[in-house]
Amino acid sequence: MMEAATETSANRALDAVTVTGLTKVFKSGLTKRAFVAVRDLSLTVKAGEVYGLIGPNGSGKSTTMKVILGLLAPTAGETRIFGRDSREVTSRSEVGFLPENPYFYKHLTGLETLLFYGRLCGLSGARLKERAAEMLALTDLEDAAGRRVGGFSKGMLQRLGLAQALIHEPRLVVLDEPTAGVDPAGSRKIRDLILSFRERGLTVLVTSHLLEQMQEVCDRVGIMAHGVMVKEGRLEDLIAVQNQTELVLENVDEALLGRIRELVAASGDGARVVRTGSPRTTLERLFLESTDESGKGEK
Amino acid sequence: METELKKIGGGFSVSRVWTMAAATVTQLVRMRILVFLVVLSAIVVAAGFMFPVFSAEQQLKMLKYVSFGALQFFSLVLAIVATALLLPKDIEDRTLYTILSKPVPRVEYLLGKFFGVMLLIGGGLLLMDVLLCAVLHLRQSLVLAQELAFLKQGHATAEELAVEAARIEAQGVGWSLQIGVLAVFLKAGVVTALALMISCFASSTLFTVITTFCVCIIGQGQELIREFFFHRTFDAAGEKIASGLFAVLVPDLRLFDVIDQVVAGDEVAGGAALFMTGAGLLYMAGYLVVAHLLFVEKEL
Repeated sequence: MMEAATETSANRALDAVTVTGLTKVFKSGLTKRAFVAVRDLSLTVKAGEVYGLIGPNGSGKSTTMKVILGLLAPTAGETRIFGRDSREVTSRSEVGFLPENPYFYKHLTGLETLLFYGRLCGLSGARLKERAAEMLALTDLEDAAGRRVGGFSKGMLQRLGLAQALIHEPRLVVLDEPTAGVDPAGSRKIRDLILSFRERGLTVLVTSHLLEQMQEVCDRVGIMAHGVMVKEGRLEDLIAVQNQTELVLENVDEALLGRIRELVAASGDGARVVRTGSPRTTLERLFLESTDESGKGEK
Repeated sequence: METELKKIGGGFSVSRVWTMAAATVTQLVRMRILVFLVVLSAIVVAAGFMFPVFSAEQQLKMLKYVSFGALQFFSLVLAIVATALLLPKDIEDRTLYTILSKPVPRVEYLLGKFFGVMLLIGGGLLLMDVLLCAVLHLRQSLVLAQELAFLKQGHATAEELAVEAARIEAQGVGWSLQIGVLAVFLKAGVVTALALMISCFASSTLFTVITTFCVCIIGQGQELIREFFFHRTFDAAGEKIASGLFAVLVPDLRLFDVIDQVVAGDEVAGGAALFMTGAGLLYMAGYLVVAHLLFVEKEL
């Protein structure tokens, strides 16, 4: 019993984010009418994985993120980041956050913005300058380093947001709608960055309405609706149609297809060919190929 | 990196407060606040050459009077408007989210904003003070020379010349002038802390500006409210509590009104200056503590 408890505690310390029984109630107006934004939510984001939190507007995703980041206090339950209570300021030393449609001080340049956020994270001197330069390069904003943020496009702001989120080398990156309002080329750059985070062992907690993109980057997803978690698990398990098998063939003639159909029909046990046809590309891929997207769309 | 991260503690960090303050100064300076300073400085210079029909002493008094008016206007407008803008703008632009999602305690954010505004007001007042001293010194030398020349033409005695010179020199640059500038700075500090406290619960910039402005007006008569509270027998408990709250919450801004003394050329006693400084710092500390208590509970 004691061993089990110790093991559970050790696992919890390894988890990047743990949300336990979280409830958040907002009271607004003179009558202080209560609105339950999140109800008894529990979830775990394991270290090193990309976890997608999806759901319609008003489902409680952003509220959950804000509680995790200590921007809102939970009404009930608790949230932890690498074992530390989110209400402790120190828990944020391991987190980088990109809010939805981020805005920064318009009067600062791209580089000044990164230096500002770096200093807030305790960086200074040559190390700070080095990190700022690295982040500008990573997010493809080197040419915009000396430009005022007020003149940045939405995609550039989003990438600057990512750069500031990563300036202090956090172990957890929280992204709220990172591709909202960004064109497909910019959106792809952000998606590629998220994939590179996973390769570097970073944990990512991300929300997005673009389900196709979430499908490409997430290891696990949680689906929220009306403040509760309605489904959670490994993406592959959730989206797989359990009683069907996909077989993609190349350079196959009609005769061979006919033989395969015959084989399936002859096998019995209810086996049947549900559908045949050419696989389709995605509209996004078509757009990117057509516009000759090569990562230089926006500077 | 691990060691660097260990330095990012939850404890108070002067360096983070300084980072916030410096960003606030940059923000306000790039909002072209300094144009406002240049215009008011021009008024100070112009005041040095106005009122030529007045007597020598009156000319210098008017120069100081107009200049202190400009100093007060600059500091109070900046204290109220700039402070009222900062917090709601950061919330509206979501800049606050990115800042507070870093290991930045809310108290450091608030102090950074406060010291940023104070740095700008202090810097502006210092520049205007230097300009005022220069113009006053120049003007004093000019009117003194003119006045003595005029008296000499009238065959005034050496004693009469010395008395006149002393009278004009009393209106020149001196310590009481600097105490006057300090009073303006302290008053602006109290108003800044008050505006910051109000903006922690206000729903808009306009609300903060109007409320702070009203409290400042009431603050000029705070002494009367205090008298009313301590020397009147109340019929209703509610009335007593309301008057008491008013007397405690509204700053006594008359404490900082030493300008009339300074303009008159009178010395401001060291004890009075110390009392004024202590009271100002206490008010600032009090408002900042309440601001923190409100801000720490604020749902973002």
